Amino acid sequence: MARSVWKGPFVDAYVLKKAEKAREGTRNEVIKIWSRRSTILPQFVGLTFGVYNGKKHIPVNVTEDMIGQKFGEYSPTRTYYGHAADKKAKKK
Amino acid sequence: MARIAGVNIPTAKRVPIALTYITGIGPAIAHQICEATKIDESRRVNDLSDAEVLAIREYIDANLTVEGDLRRETQMNIKRLMDLGCYRGLRHRRNLPVRGQRTHTNARTRKGPAKAIAGKKK
Repeated sequence: MARSVWKGPFVDAYVLKKAEKAREGTRNEVIKIWSRRSTILPQFVGLTFGVYNGKKHIPVNVTEDMIGQKFGEYSPTRTYYGHAADKKAKKK
Repeated sequence: MARIAGVNIPTAKRVPIALTYITGIGPAIAHQICEATKIDESRRVNDLSDAEVLAIREYIDANLTVEGDLRRETQMNIKRLMDLGCYRGLRHRRNLPVRGQRTHTNARTRKGPAKAIAGKKK
């Protein structure tokens, strides 16, 4: 179910603070965040966020299309290298 | 034979049924078209007058996206997700279920026919 409109988009406060600081400082630096649950707001466009995936911060360059989605969507948490067993079975 | 929305030639079926042969028109929208053009739903396509067929055609042109346009729109939406690099896009790229379904078993619609794993059983 979608979130009620009257609540407004959810963003962790520290993400907002960091983003504001980065926009004043014009230098395009990766903003490290752990908050994968935060919504991507219009004022984040053009900034680069390092979204934590449980292991490291994945750099995400925010574009206009991403607005309204969550940061977590851009930082995959699972690694999949295929099934090693398949190859073993073939060799036998 | 009536040509509505490009190539579609529905048969001697009832109008709302025949309209569902067009991609993008299901029972609900077919019903809506019949209401808007004031065509009785029990009538067949082959006894519609030219004016009525024209009315249906105009209604579809004005209000709905169907057939090729609809397919293109869906494809564009999927392509947009894939280009974004978001989770849903990644799932589309790998042809896996997009909406969080399990993949341990099932998911055959997306994955295709099951591939036998050689030497799985001893």
